[in-house]
Amino acid sequence: MNRNKNRIGIIWLIIGLVLGTSYKLIAQDASMVKIPDGYWRPFFKGTDTLISVSTFYLDKKQVTNEEYEQFVAHHPEWSSEKVKPVFADENYLIHWKNRSESDQRVLSKQPVVNVSWFAARAYCRSLGKRLPTTAEWEYAASAPPIGRSINDSILQEIIANWYSRRIEAGKPVGSIYENSYGLWDMYGQVWEWVLDFDAMKSSDDSRGQDVIPQGLFCGSASMDVVDASDYTGFIRFAFRSSLKGNYTVRNLGFRCAASSAPHP
Amino acid sequence: MKRNTYLNFFIITLVWMMLFSLNSCKDKSAGYQVDLTKLPDREVFAELTDAPYVPPSRPEKGNAFVRVDLEIIEKTERLADGVDYTFWTFGGQVPGKFIRIRQGDLVEFHLHNHPDNLLPHNIDLHAVTGPGGGAEASLIAPGKSAQFTFRALNQGLYVYHCATAPVGMHIANGMYGLILVEPLEGLPPVDHEFYIMQSEFYTTGSFGEKGHQDFDMQKAMDERPDYVVMNGAVGAASGNNRMKVKVGETVRLFIGNGGPNLVSSFHVIGEIFNKVYVEGGTLINKDVQTTLVPAGGAAIAEFKCEVPGTLHLVDHSIFRAFNKGALAQIEVQGEEQFAVFTGKQKEEVYLPEGSAIQSISSGKRQIEQLDIPEKTLEERITAGQILYKQNCMACHMENGSGITGTFPPLVNSDFLQARSDHGIGVVLDGLQGEIMVNGVKYNNIMPAVSLNDDQAASVITYVLNNFDNGGGLVTAAKVKEWRNEQK
Repeated sequence: MNRNKNRIGIIWLIIGLVLGTSYKLIAQDASMVKIPDGYWRPFFKGTDTLISVSTFYLDKKQVTNEEYEQFVAHHPEWSSEKVKPVFADENYLIHWKNRSESDQRVLSKQPVVNVSWFAARAYCRSLGKRLPTTAEWEYAASAPPIGRSINDSILQEIIANWYSRRIEAGKPVGSIYENSYGLWDMYGQVWEWVLDFDAMKSSDDSRGQDVIPQGLFCGSASMDVVDASDYTGFIRFAFRSSLKGNYTVRNLGFRCAASSAPHP
Repeated sequence: MKRNTYLNFFIITLVWMMLFSLNSCKDKSAGYQVDLTKLPDREVFAELTDAPYVPPSRPEKGNAFVRVDLEIIEKTERLADGVDYTFWTFGGQVPGKFIRIRQGDLVEFHLHNHPDNLLPHNIDLHAVTGPGGGAEASLIAPGKSAQFTFRALNQGLYVYHCATAPVGMHIANGMYGLILVEPLEGLPPVDHEFYIMQSEFYTTGSFGEKGHQDFDMQKAMDERPDYVVMNGAVGAASGNNRMKVKVGETVRLFIGNGGPNLVSSFHVIGEIFNKVYVEGGTLINKDVQTTLVPAGGAAIAEFKCEVPGTLHLVDHSIFRAFNKGALAQIEVQGEEQFAVFTGKQKEEVYLPEGSAIQSISSGKRQIEQLDIPEKTLEERITAGQILYKQNCMACHMENGSGITGTFPPLVNSDFLQARSDHGIGVVLDGLQGEIMVNGVKYNNIMPAVSLNDDQAASVITYVLNNFDNGGGLVTAAKVKEWRNEQK
């Protein structure tokens, strides 16, 4: 039985190599879940229509330091020595500097942080994936923890608890809660990059670009939102709008998405 | 003829309008105008201070190019005894650092968001003329710094605060402070300047509930704070942290209100403000008892300390002061000034009909008896100390000395020691009428205190052991027994 599995694995590996992708892709297949299509009610009122989200696939957990190290090993242009400043600022992977072996062991299963948007995007691309969009991310994250109703306030509690307390030393990925899609720690672990993190600032996005920038500041902030009590939503949007593509932040990691079923 | 009347009317109206508009122009130009073509040539770094201290006025005359560096730090600190809260701060404390500049200064502002922080932040300085008071120019992720430059066009005392969404939450977590834009020639000298900022905290647990407390959004929206405090925590500017001055000295208070919701009726018990810069602006009001400080607003109050004693700085929405923490103190040291105030000259019994013991709790509220295991002597003393501060200290004083003739002392109290119930009855039922304590006659009313058996046992044990009353342990079972006997 085991041998059979191994044999299938080897065949997959060969197919993978033939397809010109790395073996890692296959290793990660089981790490994604399918998110069924549906609608996401945008946070800001300026958009009175629901945004439809097509079926997509999302990593169950955030990318870990260990996984990211493998990526850097294969793509040395993304090492902290070689990366270009336009793609990542000076704090890129700074938590890897001068770490002891035991630090490294502890870190290996924790989400990688201090990575820029460009770096996160490159990582996902290297696996034939991409970053999730804001709509996809918010839609997937809105699912309640397994066994809990969408209507109870458990998500708000998880988020508020995270915001209102100092973050303790990092936790391994997959240690806080699993939601009904099978995704781990959408909240409560680290912030996550999304593909269109700066959509609110860009002019080519028609989604209320004149509403949002000033809507995020001062008293007007409460005027334009669907649900003013969703204050944790404000924070994510404020956080995203404080970022630039080459920024790295100590509490900001990522996970990858894919539009179609991952290979094979 | 009729037409002429209309014309006349029209002309008169026109003349009036012109006069009016001239007048309003004149009003506008009355204040000092900053000459934007002249740039200051001197560079200085702003000295910033934590409350209750205020940076000194710059000794040099004229304007400067001022660099301000302010660091945002999220940290867990004491909100009250036994209560922790995760504050978001400008400079490491609540309220944020006091900034002092001069009208006409060119200010280069550097805002730093510490890399350990979880959230993006920014700053909206009400002293800034520009979009969002600098908020849009300063939104920064953790681990980043933002820089913007502004010209201080208007003098006055201004609030600054974080204006990152959700704004209410950032302010509710402690992100506010004061910036003083002095008139070019400086404010008139005084002996002491202090920085006092009022604000509220909305916690998941009620006032005094121990442990780490989280922010409660629902209470914030309902405007039902558990804490209303001066300088960021209960007791941050009172008791051992009180401010000290001497008889005959002049005091200037820079008072801010961070909100996020409540308006402060700021009052100093035992003083009259000789001068108030209304709302922190240039309008001066004199001889004021209580001045209104709006949320997101400020005031400057000045007075001279004529007699010794302790001044209580309160929000005269008075339950906030004595039950939620909105109290700061200034101790005035020096010789009695009987020409101004005599102290008590005479006391006699006055008992009109119908006075009855009042209860601190409302009659409707049942005291919740929790099933708590009996505590050791040490645990009772520790718990009792906090309960004492919350319930007893306002009258009996922190050291148990009371106030001679008014509030009986608890230190080595013969009255207490003579009671077979160790004082349980006094705490649970209150006390009124004439008593003798350590040879002094008291005739006052102590309301019943709504403590459960466990709490009452702790606070009494604390009083027995800490104020030289012979020690001893009062158990919750003993309190319960007493309570049942009364039924």
